[in-house]
Amino acid sequence: MELAPQMLVDAILLGGVYTLMVIGLALSFGITRVINFAHGEAIMFGAYGAFWLLTVWGIDPLLSLPLLLAGGFVAGFLVYETAVKRVLHAPHINQILLTFGLGLIFQNVALILWTGDERSANPNWAFDAFEFNMVVVPYGRLIGFLVAVMLVAALFAWLRWTELGRASRALAEHNEAAQLVGINVSLTYGIAFGISVALGVAMGVLVSFLGAINPFMGFHMLVKGFAILILGGLGNIMGAVFGAFILAFVETSVGYYVPNGIGWAEGMAFAILFAILVLRPRGLLGQEVEG
Amino acid sequence: MHPRLTVAAAVAALACSATTGAAAQDTIRVGVPMELSGKFVSYGAPGKRGTEMAAEAFNYKVAGKKLELLFRDVQSDAQTTVSVINELVSQAKVNYMIGPIGSPIVAAAIPAWQQGKPIWLVPGSSSTKLEEVAGAEPMFFHTYPYAYHYHTSEAAALKHYLGPGKRVAVIYSDDSYGRTHLPYVQKYYKEAGYNIVAEELVRTNASDLNPVLTKIRVSRPDILIGLVQTTDAITLAKQIHTRRLDVPYLVGTAYTQLDEWRNAVGEAQEGWLGVTTYLPGAQRAANPDYPHIFPSLTEWEEKFRKRFNAEPDFLDIGTYATAAMLFLAIDRAGVDDREKVAAELRKIDLQTVFGRGNFKPTEGGTKQQAFTDMVVFQNQGGKNVVLYPLADATGKLQPLKR
Repeated sequence: MELAPQMLVDAILLGGVYTLMVIGLALSFGITRVINFAHGEAIMFGAYGAFWLLTVWGIDPLLSLPLLLAGGFVAGFLVYETAVKRVLHAPHINQILLTFGLGLIFQNVALILWTGDERSANPNWAFDAFEFNMVVVPYGRLIGFLVAVMLVAALFAWLRWTELGRASRALAEHNEAAQLVGINVSLTYGIAFGISVALGVAMGVLVSFLGAINPFMGFHMLVKGFAILILGGLGNIMGAVFGAFILAFVETSVGYYVPNGIGWAEGMAFAILFAILVLRPRGLLGQEVEG
Repeated sequence: MHPRLTVAAAVAALACSATTGAAAQDTIRVGVPMELSGKFVSYGAPGKRGTEMAAEAFNYKVAGKKLELLFRDVQSDAQTTVSVINELVSQAKVNYMIGPIGSPIVAAAIPAWQQGKPIWLVPGSSSTKLEEVAGAEPMFFHTYPYAYHYHTSEAAALKHYLGPGKRVAVIYSDDSYGRTHLPYVQKYYKEAGYNIVAEELVRTNASDLNPVLTKIRVSRPDILIGLVQTTDAITLAKQIHTRRLDVPYLVGTAYTQLDEWRNAVGEAQEGWLGVTTYLPGAQRAANPDYPHIFPSLTEWEEKFRKRFNAEPDFLDIGTYATAAMLFLAIDRAGVDDREKVAAELRKIDLQTVFGRGNFKPTEGGTKQQAFTDMVVFQNQGGKNVVLYPLADATGKLQPLKR
C-alpha cells in the first residue's frame, strides 16, 4: 500500500493528458462523423511547433500554446475545406484512406523538414517537482494536467453556451433536423474540425516537454486514442473523458502492482479495446448506431 | 513479325546487352541499403554520409574501375528491407553490400542476403541474434560492437571506480534491443560482484515510466542501467530527473553519446554513463601508407565538417572506415571477385581513423569482427569525460547528487 498515493497521483495526471489526446478526435467524429487518422500528426506538428518556438525564439511552450492553438485551428479548417469536405458523404473507408494518406504526407513533410532526430523541449520548470508526504509531483505533468483540464472545460463551455457550440451538438444529434432549422452545416463542420485539430496541437505542446518528439510520434498516440474512444463510446465527448481516466488508472495500477507491469500496462489499451468490442461495441457511454 | 525485323531486334538486343555487359565490367557496384527515412533515419543518414565520403577518398575508382554506389532506402521498415535486399542481391547481383545499421532492420535483411550471400559489411547492430544467425558466414563482416562489448566495458569501469558489492537495477525494453542486452548485463555485472536487485520491463514508446521508477526507488539501487533505444531513453532520462530518483550512478548504452539524446534531455543528461567507439576530438595519427584515405583524426573531422557542414558521429566515422576497408580490399584484389576480395578483407590490418582495422573472431562466434574497442564516458557538467580504459581517462567517475 505504500505505493498507492503515488499511484493515484500518477494516474490522475496521466488521465488528464490522455483526455486532451482524445478529446479532439471525439469532437471531430462526434460532429462530422469523419474518423481523422491524421489527428496524430496534429499532435506531432504541435510538438514541433512548441519545440522550435522555444529553441529558436526562446518562447516558453505555455506561452506558445495560444499561438499554436490558433494556428492549429486555421490549419484544421483549411484541411477540412480542401480535403475532408469532399468525402463527407463518402463511405467510411474513403474517409479513412484520405485522412490516413494525409497523415503519411504530414509525417514525411516533417521528416524532410526536421529529419528523424528525436527532440524534446526543455523549459526549466519541466525538470522540477515537489514532494508531499513521499509523493513526487513533477511540475511538467501537473502543468500538462491543468492545461488539459482547462482546455477540456473550455470545450464543454463552448459546446454548451455558444451558438456555434449548440449548433455543433445539434448537428451531432440530428444532421437533417439541424439543417432544417437553418444551421450552416459546412461552416459548423469546418469550425468543429478546426477545433479538433487545435486540441490535437495543444496535446502536442504538452508532449513537447513530457516526452520525445519525432515525425512518427503521432501514430502511436492515435492507436491508443482510438482504444480510449471505443472504450468511452465513439463520438461521445464525455465518454472520451471517462475512457481516458479509466485507461490511465488501469495502466498505472498494472504498472505498479503487476510484476514487469509497465510492459503489460501499455498493452492494456488493446486488451480493453478487444473486450469492449466483444462485450459492448458501442462503448461505455456510446449510443447504439443503426446500419 | 517480319523475319528482317526479328533479326534487327535480336541484333539490337545483343548490342544492348553487350554494351551493358561492358559497362558492368568497367564498374564495380556496391549495394548500400540504409535507413534513409523512417524511425532509424538517424542511423542510415550517417551511414550514407560515411560511405559517400569513403568513395570520394578513392575518387570513385577501385581496382582500376569506376566505383558505383547503389544507395537504397529501406525506410526503417522490415518488409521494405526484404524487398530492397532481394533487389540488390537477386536482380542487381551486387558482390558487396554495406548496411543497413539498426538492429531490427539488419535482422530483417538476413534472409534476403542469404539468397546470394554477397560480401556483407554491417557497420551497426549490436544484437547478438545477428551473431547467432550470420556470424559464422564467411562473407559476413561486422564492424560494430555487440551488446556484450558494451557491458564488459561498463561493468569493468564501474568495478574499477566503485569496487564490488553494489546494488544494480535494470530497466529494459520489451523489444529485441532490451531483451538482447539484459542477459549480458546479468552476466557481466554479476561477474563484477554486483547484486541485481530489480529488473523492470518497459514497453517501447511507453509515455509514463513513473510506476517503474517508483518501484526502483523502493529497491534503493546504487546503479541504474537503462537498456532502451533512443526515444525511450529520452523519456527515461527526463522522468528520472524530474522524479529526483536518488540513484548515484545512471548507466546507458550507446544513446548517451548521441547529440540527439543530449539535446533532447537537456540538463537531465548530467551524470549518465555511456559507451562509444568514437569520441570527437580524440588524437589519432594518420596512416603513413594511406594518408589520403586514413588521415589523422583531426584532419578527417575537418574534412567531414567541410563536406557535410555537420559534426561527425560514431556512425559517420564507423561507416567511413568500414567502406574504406572494403574499397581497399577490392583495390588490393584487383578484380571484382567476392572470394578474392573477402580474402583481402581478412588480411587487412591497418590504422584507420576509427582505430585499428582488422577482422578477428569474437567470443560469440562471429568469424570476422572489427572495431570492438569501447570507451566508457560520463557526462559531467555538459561534457563527456572519458573514464575507461584508464589509459585514455580524462577524469574520474562522479556520483550524481540530487
